[in-house]
Amino acid sequence: MTKRIPYFLLVLFLFALARMAPAAEPEPMLLTASAQGRNMEQAVAALGQAIVAHNYTFVRQQAIDSRLVPYAREVRSVRLVYFCNFAKMDRVLRLDPRATQLMPCRVTLVETPSGVDLIAVNPAWVSQNVPALHGECQELKNDYLAILEEASL
Amino acid sequence: MTRFDINRLIVWLALLLSLSARAEPLTVNKEVDMRQALDDIALAAANHELVMVKMQPIDTALAKRGFENPHIRILFIGSESAVRWAEVVEPRLLNLLPLRLTLIQREGRMTVMSDDFEPWLREFPADPAHRMIEAWQAELKAMLDDFVRQ
Repeated sequence: MTKRIPYFLLVLFLFALARMAPAAEPEPMLLTASAQGRNMEQAVAALGQAIVAHNYTFVRQQAIDSRLVPYAREVRSVRLVYFCNFAKMDRVLRLDPRATQLMPCRVTLVETPSGVDLIAVNPAWVSQNVPALHGECQELKNDYLAILEEASL
Repeated sequence: MTRFDINRLIVWLALLLSLSARAEPLTVNKEVDMRQALDDIALAAANHELVMVKMQPIDTALAKRGFENPHIRILFIGSESAVRWAEVVEPRLLNLLPLRLTLIQREGRMTVMSDDFEPWLREFPADPAHRMIEAWQAELKAMLDDFVRQ
């Protein structure tokens, strides 16, 4: 029995090392695309179409300072668009309740002199600390990339 | 391998495991139902000059569509000063705003959990962004402590 202890400890040691090992390919924090030559209204409309085309449901859009200032003072150049896919939401919540950090899906639209930038927090970056969600978050990242690409065409 | 070696190995393992432990979101618990929790959070937020921006009832949204009710809701809270600061100093931090709280109801207990700030702190190691994230985290912690005391 005592002879087995070092082997058990060795396995634990390797497990600890594996947990400390950094991911092979670090994920970027943000996923971005640029809708050149569009105004905010056009960019929001194109994003809405891309969301639906990828089997997601539009939830709402709001200013970045919505409810924090009177409506007339809201910033017009930064808007948040929220959307979700209920089946995916159900699936990730069963894996880990910290999946709410990804909910609802969101794209931030920022008006620039040449168009509108579309920015999303990379779900695979968020899930770095939640290994149970990493597979789902890789898929979600791909969905985001497809939506951003389509919305910026 | 002697007993001394094994003891030393155990100490090293404990150290390694503690180093590999990940930061967790801010979390508090309280024995209240969802309605009372929302009222108490609104009060605590107001005490800390934070505003409830939006409540996302994902429990009813999922149940209405035939999925299992997860008994989870999401709250977005914020402050104008945080938005203005991020706009001027580090616009990438706008992606963290408004701040999110998750309410999880399990057997009469309500768990309220923030997002995990650790990846954000790691991504922004230098001031003033790092200090600002820490300030938001501290503000949220004070608010959650207040919520527990309500």
